[in-house]
Amino acid sequence: MSDTILVRRPTAAPAGEVRAPVFDLDRPIAGVHVGIRTDKAWRSWRLIAQVWDEYLRRDGAATTLVETGGMVGQTGANDRKHIDELADTVECAIVGLGTCGSCTTFTIKDSVVVEAKQKPVVAIVTEEFEVHGHNVATHLGHGDLKVLVLPYPLEARPEAELRAIADEFYPRVLELLGAAS
Amino acid sequence: MTVFTAEQVEVGADPREQYERAIAERWSDGAPLLPATDDAIEALLAATPYPADHALCVLPPVNGVATVELIAINAAMAGVEPAAFPVVIAALEAISEPEWNAFGLTTTTSSVCPMLLVNGPGRDELGIDYRAGCMGGAAGRGSMTIGRAVALCIRNIGGQRAGETTKTVFGQPGRFGFCIGEWEERSPWPSLAERRGYSAQQDVVTVHGGKGTYPLADIHNDDARDLLYLIAKSVAFPLSNMYLGNVQNGEVVVAINPMWAERFGAVFPDVEELQGFLRANAWQPIELWPEPNQKILRDKGRVDADGRVHLVGRPDQIVPIVCGGLGSLHAIALPSFGESQMQSHPVLRPGSA
Repeated sequence: MSDTILVRRPTAAPAGEVRAPVFDLDRPIAGVHVGIRTDKAWRSWRLIAQVWDEYLRRDGAATTLVETGGMVGQTGANDRKHIDELADTVECAIVGLGTCGSCTTFTIKDSVVVEAKQKPVVAIVTEEFEVHGHNVATHLGHGDLKVLVLPYPLEARPEAELRAIADEFYPRVLELLGAAS
Repeated sequence: MTVFTAEQVEVGADPREQYERAIAERWSDGAPLLPATDDAIEALLAATPYPADHALCVLPPVNGVATVELIAINAAMAGVEPAAFPVVIAALEAISEPEWNAFGLTTTTSSVCPMLLVNGPGRDELGIDYRAGCMGGAAGRGSMTIGRAVALCIRNIGGQRAGETTKTVFGQPGRFGFCIGEWEERSPWPSLAERRGYSAQQDVVTVHGGKGTYPLADIHNDDARDLLYLIAKSVAFPLSNMYLGNVQNGEVVVAINPMWAERFGAVFPDVEELQGFLRANAWQPIELWPEPNQKILRDKGRVDADGRVHLVGRPDQIVPIVCGGLGSLHAIALPSFGESQMQSHPVLRPGSA
């Protein structure tokens, strides 16, 4: 009797060999139409996005906000349609928030919609979900997607702390979008 | 003879060596596996109308391509018998429907997993449990191997790894595999598959994005309506995932034992009326939640004019099935992830495609 047998390997290769290009604004933020994707689930992100929206308009940008709240059903279909329309309309986008498993997945998916239209985009995730965000982007063929990592957790922080985080990371958002200073 | 594309690997003939190798190669869920030899894989492939190289679906999180060959390899490791292999295929077809939201469910922090609910005449022959102990302990070969094969496909083809590609906080026992049947012969209502448009002669798999087994028990209620009212109240627990998202998404499965089903069927011979009654009572008063939560639920439009926070928006989102032993006294809810819609797929055998 042989000491060995032959079996077949049960695993598949992960997707992600292709890395789609990323894009920069290469001009000042003033006059740029910026899309912001918020999420009904995360009050912290809604506040930070609101602060960034104010700063963007202060700095001469125009903004359009889309708030998502569904993954499936009519709400999910509406959300994906609105993201697609946003990606068509704006010149760049800020998409968040990845601070749970599935919401990070959908943050990255919606970011990829913008990047697939050859526009600058930054996905916003929290520290705990940074690796997951990069993994999802890679498996969608967008492994170089720009990801901004915020502190974790964001939920249950006082408003003053969230505003301080918004202030601290606003310049980094502009940098990742490739806005010239 | 099939020309396989998966790499052939030499392993020790000793089962203990195979077990060690499977763990080292990360093919295993931690429990022993059978060797996926070419003979075993061939036997499974002969039981499906699909060719081995057919790309059935793409499985997240890593978006691996699930060819029928790879699925058969994983099914062989789980010990699936050839006649049951088409059930594994059907389950994966259901899982890969976009509205099941596999991309979200395989990556979430939640404890959700695919829960396979099987209807049709093949349940007994395949060893799919639907009587006493059907959710654990009955040890039907079909239930144990089909559920595990699907879980292995998600692990080995989809690349789902706790702490790496899925952010699940706790996981759950159902991620080892969950597959039960419905005791259709003891149900006063059309089977789940029939209600979803299939005939009673078809074998059908319905996949529910479930969060585990939530037990309910009663010895006090003689009136069927009273008991159903309490079941409705029990599934509407305040920290349910269903209160986090959209009221129109997701389903709660309520597994009812045959004795209770008989009582409920006498009062509600029409299953839609039963579902309407359950939906109408599956709510909690807004005052149940702390003040900050109340604001969030109001902002999300979840509070009706009477201050009720309904668990679901429609009666069909509460899904009764009949299974379990004749000892009565218990029901099991399978709560939903919420952002997932149950999907069904017929079991296709050679010649039926």
